[in-house]
Amino acid sequence: MTSSTQTALKWTGLAVAFIVAGIGLIFGFYQGLPAQQVILYTAATFALVAWAWRAFTSRWGDGAKAAVVVEGVDAEGNPAQSSAKAARRVFIRKNRPVIAGLILLLLVFGICSITITGFFSVLNIISLLVLVGLLIFSAFMSKFVVENRSAFIGLTVLVGLFVVGSLKVEGFIYPANIKSMLLFASFLGLACVGQTMVALLGGLDLSIPFIIGSANVALLYLIGLGVPPWLAVVIIVVIGIAIGLLNGFLSFRLQGQALILTLGVGFATSGITQIITSLGSRFAGNVFGAVPEWLTNLAAMNGRTFGLDFPPVILIWLVVAVLLIVGMKNTVYGRYLYALGGNRTSASRLSISERRYWVGAYAVSGAVSALTGCLLLGWSGGGFIGVGQPYLFMTLAAVVIGGTSLLGGAGGYGFTVIGVLVLQVLTSFLVGIGLDYQWQQFIFGLLILPMVALYARSPHIRTQV
Amino acid sequence: MAATPVRSSSAAASTYLLVPIVLFFALLIVAVLRSESLVTANGLGSAVIVATPLILATYALMATTIAGRGTVDLAIGPLLGFINVTLVQLFGQDIISSPVAFFLYALGVGVAYQLFMGLIIVFVRVQPIIVSLSGYLALSGINLVILERPGGTAPDWMMPWGLGISIISPVTAILILATVAWLLFTRTAFYGHLRLMGSDERAAFTSGVRINLVRLGAHCISGLFAGLAALTYTSLISSGDPTQGTTYTLIAVTALVLGGASLAGGRGGVMGSLLGAVNIYLITYVLATFNFGAVQSFVTDLAYGTILVLSLLLTVVLPHMRGVVRSVSPLLFFVILSLVALGVIIHATYDYSAPAPAVATTAATAADTTAAAATTPATPPPSSPAPGFIFEQTGEAAAIAGGANLAGPLAVAGLLLLSVLIILRTMVAQAKTARSLSPLVYVVVAAFILLGVYVVANPETVSGLGISTTQSAP
Repeated sequence: MTSSTQTALKWTGLAVAFIVAGIGLIFGFYQGLPAQQVILYTAATFALVAWAWRAFTSRWGDGAKAAVVVEGVDAEGNPAQSSAKAARRVFIRKNRPVIAGLILLLLVFGICSITITGFFSVLNIISLLVLVGLLIFSAFMSKFVVENRSAFIGLTVLVGLFVVGSLKVEGFIYPANIKSMLLFASFLGLACVGQTMVALLGGLDLSIPFIIGSANVALLYLIGLGVPPWLAVVIIVVIGIAIGLLNGFLSFRLQGQALILTLGVGFATSGITQIITSLGSRFAGNVFGAVPEWLTNLAAMNGRTFGLDFPPVILIWLVVAVLLIVGMKNTVYGRYLYALGGNRTSASRLSISERRYWVGAYAVSGAVSALTGCLLLGWSGGGFIGVGQPYLFMTLAAVVIGGTSLLGGAGGYGFTVIGVLVLQVLTSFLVGIGLDYQWQQFIFGLLILPMVALYARSPHIRTQV
Repeated sequence: MAATPVRSSSAAASTYLLVPIVLFFALLIVAVLRSESLVTANGLGSAVIVATPLILATYALMATTIAGRGTVDLAIGPLLGFINVTLVQLFGQDIISSPVAFFLYALGVGVAYQLFMGLIIVFVRVQPIIVSLSGYLALSGINLVILERPGGTAPDWMMPWGLGISIISPVTAILILATVAWLLFTRTAFYGHLRLMGSDERAAFTSGVRINLVRLGAHCISGLFAGLAALTYTSLISSGDPTQGTTYTLIAVTALVLGGASLAGGRGGVMGSLLGAVNIYLITYVLATFNFGAVQSFVTDLAYGTILVLSLLLTVVLPHMRGVVRSVSPLLFFVILSLVALGVIIHATYDYSAPAPAVATTAATAADTTAAAATTPATPPPSSPAPGFIFEQTGEAAAIAGGANLAGPLAVAGLLLLSVLIILRTMVAQAKTARSLSPLVYVVVAAFILLGVYVVANPETVSGLGISTTQSAP
């Protein structure tokens, strides 16, 4: 098997080098560079990649020495042809998912080329090569990245989407578009904070969009009543915490049905907010008032942070993300949260209070959702109860795509950040190539399953007995 | 002796129905008191037409929720929308137009979609809620691509379905057939496997149940119900509507939980789903009778959420009351509450004669003073809002109407009291032996049901009573 393994790795390395060199070659001719320079750089790239691959595989080959000995003993008694045939069969078996992915990718490319006029072009061929390269790279590296495989695959998909987007959409990597993507990603990221915390415990919070919408309307209502804006924000966040606590207390006994109870609380919150803000007004569902300038600056596209030219909400999200990612790994609270999500019985044996952490997670969810609603008021400039509706399933999708398990105990906010960025880059890409909202939603739905299937499959029932 | 434990476990297994039963009758009584038109032929016909799509959607959700692993098919709403818009588009292009083709297409698409999702859950082993989320997004998007805005028409043979002027209609037949089919299905071993798998998947696996086949079967059944729901939905709106997905998904999940089903799996049934969906309809109906004006839809949202939360909390409290609840059979509970509700319905129906005394009083007042004639329009409102119960008619009305009209309510009240006494005696007499209902109770219940149907089906009788009272007044 030593020679078989080395042969397989060698051919894989040659394939990767060929793909990379091919990309360079096409780019060179596309940009009209002199032929001599293109050929020279292509050869240099091929040699460099091939050498790096060989050095890399040699280093890792030492680690497999023990297995080689066993395989060598078996190989001694077999003819050369049988050994070669067995090697090919083993190679195919070990890389079945990659081969299936390659075939599927080529099939999709072929179908699109046949059915869509003008699809077969240089840029799309380059995109196909990029995706093929990323697929091979991620499959190979997955063998060595076991701890954070989902994060690794998520980052690979993110890089792939970014490269393909920059190729296909003019202006995709312009500062304005990147700022726009980060702005919307910030809102979605903040909305996902609560969903991530709750998902780590095995629960779900479907009241997030309703709390966002209610906070949006109620904040403008309070400002219209003459309450100082900063005090109004504090009041809204406190009410958000109260709603979260209510969610937590009520759903603690209904853990399997926390999903539907939070939906009920969301309905009630949305209804009561609209009733209160509509009393005495002949325009039901509409709230009028002036949004303070500092709130507008926080979330608008032309906002500035300490003189720098980007909206402060991006900085807010960055701070929250860093705090959560670092805190969940390095604090007692974070560790206990993972323990409770992983195994309730074991956690209770360690005297970890299940009720306290469950209610606390929902309180955090309520608070951050209310804060997101306040920030969205600054972005939209007007109160609208439906502003939170897109987040009903987007928060769930981001958490799932990022790799956090809905059964609890695995994942974290870092994974959610990756999921948020993937969704946002994908949205920007789809808008860039001219797809309408309904096509975006359709493609979102189709993409969720493959991405989750990559790294979030449940173990077979027989292994759980 | 062997029969007693079976009956006891059967009663315990249906205990979760107590909450939706109480909610159903509470809402029914409030609805009838607020507006007696609910118990007319038109009222019940409209109720069936409007509620059937929701009932069938709840059935579809229930079939997969029993399968366990937190399976809540969030895509049920967009699936209804998908079948609806494709049916309308295919009919518009004259590809399919006959009733048989419509049924086959709707059921086929429903089963195909659910089977596809079931295969993904079984073999790809992604969490069911993620699969349903994926289906929700994909179908929501594709529905808008197929039909950008509400439009199109349903075929002519489907027009009479949605008139809602009678209880007897194809929609009612579909609902009854679906319910009977599920009740027959619960007699099979497959259903036992399904519930076992939902309660404890690992125990089912180690017991030799083929959990893959059971899950796929549950999804097929769900697909059939979804197809029927889409058909009745198409007949209700007589057109295509691509954007009602979210609404039906959330309302159907709410109805499922109101019906006492557990989203964790293993508990649920067709009676609970039926009661849950009807409760949702009654909530909307009751709120519509109040004049909330501009905030009407907001009050509906608040009511949905509040009743849902309270219902869930009751399912938590119920196990602690098991000592008391164990001795109460849901069927007996249903019988008693139905008698009470029937009394309220008869009261509301017979109060059509209440305005007559006011008219007589007004006539007397006008005769006394000509100057008071100017205030005649203001006199009827004060007396109309306070109709008396069966025994609370005013002296003048009683004197004028005579004993003939008083005999009806008295006879009904006496019969009610006698029935309650008979039932109580039966309960006490058989308390020490096997707890079963006497055939006499069934006869009484059937008689009252027939009486209710007669009253609803013959508005002329009520009108006749009113006319005779009015004639006797002058």
